[in-house]
Amino acid sequence: MTCEEARALLLDARRGRLSAGMQAALDAHLAGCAACAHENAADALLGEALEGRLPQHAAPLALKRRLAASWSAGDALPSPPPVARPTAPSSARAAWGARWRRAVVPALAAAVLVLALVPLYYRQAGDGGAGMVTEAVNDHLRLLTAQHPLDIESGGIHQVKPWFEGRLDFAPVVRFEGDADFPLRGGAIGYYLDRKAAVFVFNRRLHVVTLLVFPAQGLPWPRRGLERIGPVEAQVTASRGFNTILWREGDLGYALVSDVDRTDLLALLGKLAASS
Amino acid sequence: MESERADAAALGREALAYADTLYNLARYLTRSPTDAEDLVQETYARALSAAHQFTPGTNLKAWLFRILRNTFLSHHRHERHNPTVGGLDTVVAVAPSPESARWLRGDVELDRLRKVVGEEIERALESLSEEARIVILLDLEGLTEVEVAQVVGCAVGTVKSRLARARAALREKLRDYAP
Repeated sequence: MTCEEARALLLDARRGRLSAGMQAALDAHLAGCAACAHENAADALLGEALEGRLPQHAAPLALKRRLAASWSAGDALPSPPPVARPTAPSSARAAWGARWRRAVVPALAAAVLVLALVPLYYRQAGDGGAGMVTEAVNDHLRLLTAQHPLDIESGGIHQVKPWFEGRLDFAPVVRFEGDADFPLRGGAIGYYLDRKAAVFVFNRRLHVVTLLVFPAQGLPWPRRGLERIGPVEAQVTASRGFNTILWREGDLGYALVSDVDRTDLLALLGKLAASS
Repeated sequence: MESERADAAALGREALAYADTLYNLARYLTRSPTDAEDLVQETYARALSAAHQFTPGTNLKAWLFRILRNTFLSHHRHERHNPTVGGLDTVVAVAPSPESARWLRGDVELDRLRKVVGEEIERALESLSEEARIVILLDLEGLTEVEVAQVVGCAVGTVKSRLARARAALREKLRDYAP
């Protein structure tokens, strides 16, 4: 294998796209070629920097509202073919009425769709959980805008978790160590409503996922709209463009917040709940 | 007509979930929050009017990216004087200077890449050509090379080489931020 051939395979190799034979050939080349090994290391570090440190810009809320409203208005639909209605040619008033109906009825229908869809897209949490969801999103936003969001950079969960000892009056139970899909970036001490919280920060590609762990007692936990997800009952909501999952296990409460897709967040919940 | 309306509403809800992702791409393409908002809004308007052309079951995210990219190109052709544009597909790679090659090979590059901060990566990325930026960002969004090829309208092999060249160019740019 030449250096040129090897370098063309480096990214595919790191993403596990090579056949076993190709991978073995590449490994053999890298073992004997310092220049290509350096290229591989440098490109891997570049990938880490891009995935973990490149700032992500979330769409402004006002823009999201405009988008939701415009789509809900149903402008995408082809105009319905004009319906031939028998109108008396001599009746200007009847013709005006027909024109009015053609103009106003679709507008009213669009308004109804806006009223129905916008709250769906921006629905808030149910009764008890609304304040908790708001607080979780606020904590996530504070973390995103902080200059130094992490008190402890991740060297793995076994480095992050012990760091909390002596800093909290409870032990956060998080056994999921992070993986290739959700690497653990690190942790920090935060505040959730009236109490301290352990903050774990994961990544999903370029997106930041915040996990808050805090004592569950005395909080207005939601009782409606709970979904059974693996071993836990959780409330999954979308608020201000962020997906949030609230659940409790024993004495501890958990809030997972991010702008990643709901399915991605549920996948992380599955990993956290299965290992805790 | 009712089922079409329901389909469009469902598509709309799904499409809106990608607002952040599209805006992020738009920010890095336009380098301006205001222009990015305009670009995303026009992207959704175009998607809205072409909703009936979307094939259910295909990749909605890639479809929206394609619309955004085409919209961007149609409005920002004047920016295409960047000398890096077009260079990504050239057959003969531009050889780095001896000093650059030494730096790229040396451990100093690895140290620098370990310490580079988000703002520096952002600036370096924004200094690349739109072609380089888009392949890097689409790749980061998890699109496969086939999907990236569909978005940018080229062959899969071209995507692979563009991505490699774009990443190499980014590494070279990050050198400028070395302390």
